Amino acid sequence: MTARTRLLDKSVAQAMSTLSAAAKRGLGDPALAELVVIRASQLNHCAFCLDMHLRIAREHGVPERQLDLLAAWEEAEGVYDERERAALALTEAMTVLTGGTSQAVGSGGGFVPDEVYETAAKHFDDTELAHLIGLVVAINNWNRVMVSRRIPPGGYTP
Amino acid sequence: MTTHTDDRTPTDHTGHATVGYAPEHTPRLAWAEQAPEVFKAMIRLDAAARKGLDPKLLELVKVRASQINHCALCVDMHSKDALAAGESVERIVQLSAWEESEHFYTERELAALALTEAVTVLTDGFVPDAVYERAAAHFEDAELAQLIAAITVINAWNRFGVTCRLVPGHYQPGHK
Repeated sequence: MTARTRLLDKSVAQAMSTLSAAAKRGLGDPALAELVVIRASQLNHCAFCLDMHLRIAREHGVPERQLDLLAAWEEAEGVYDERERAALALTEAMTVLTGGTSQAVGSGGGFVPDEVYETAAKHFDDTELAHLIGLVVAINNWNRVMVSRRIPPGGYTP
Repeated sequence: MTTHTDDRTPTDHTGHATVGYAPEHTPRLAWAEQAPEVFKAMIRLDAAARKGLDPKLLELVKVRASQINHCALCVDMHSKDALAAGESVERIVQLSAWEESEHFYTERELAALALTEAVTVLTDGFVPDAVYERAAAHFEDAELAQLIAAITVINAWNRFGVTCRLVPGHYQPGHK
């Protein structure tokens, strides 16, 4: 697989990096940040991002079992704590915005359900939550520019 | 039913009566105040991504992505920005069904809209070669990179807007 294009304006890339760094710093939980970022990259099918962030997660000492079961985290009882589960649920809802037709009749995505938002708000204070939301946005940004340009995995070295 | 309004009749900012409308919701979270560095980075990213793109095309892309992501604030803002940029009501209205109203748009705009859909709906799977190549036929490399960046950025605003349930209806173009 070769990239379609590697072009990305330098100031765009810099602002994206700044955004990611600010969100991650504000959340203040590097291991949780990696779980969030990897889950979004799974949903968006971003090979480059998965490769990169699985490496980073291992560097941060995220348990292998949490990485192995991440694609099925809802069914993996006892592997993630309530705070992690709240963050992962928010990540999914924010990443799959396009599904469904309305909150009343839609299923499988569309909007961020009250229950998902409120559970997150229980485990994260407003500042943490704003940065968690920022982080989900930031990885969705990277997923989009990498998938669109079909950047192959493996380019990242820690 | 009367259309007569007086000073006591609730109206929207265009003067249309809003009697019987549902109450306005409140936002969930003032995210920009809680995460000012993130907000600043978004503003810089937005400015960087719009460089070199035709403003009318940009607004079409922004409205369409906001429709797909159901971002009420963004639909409000970018429909108004599109009108302010000289866009026609007709072309904005037809955007939600653009594949069936191709004769409202240029081939270049259609290619950009197809790319917008593919990049916005990533969770259903990738950006098809046909869509990418159609865009590449109408946009030279650097411009295409900017278009991808612009689609990415409106997706970012959409996520903040939807997650924090930001309130549409108050935006006025030129008063950012």
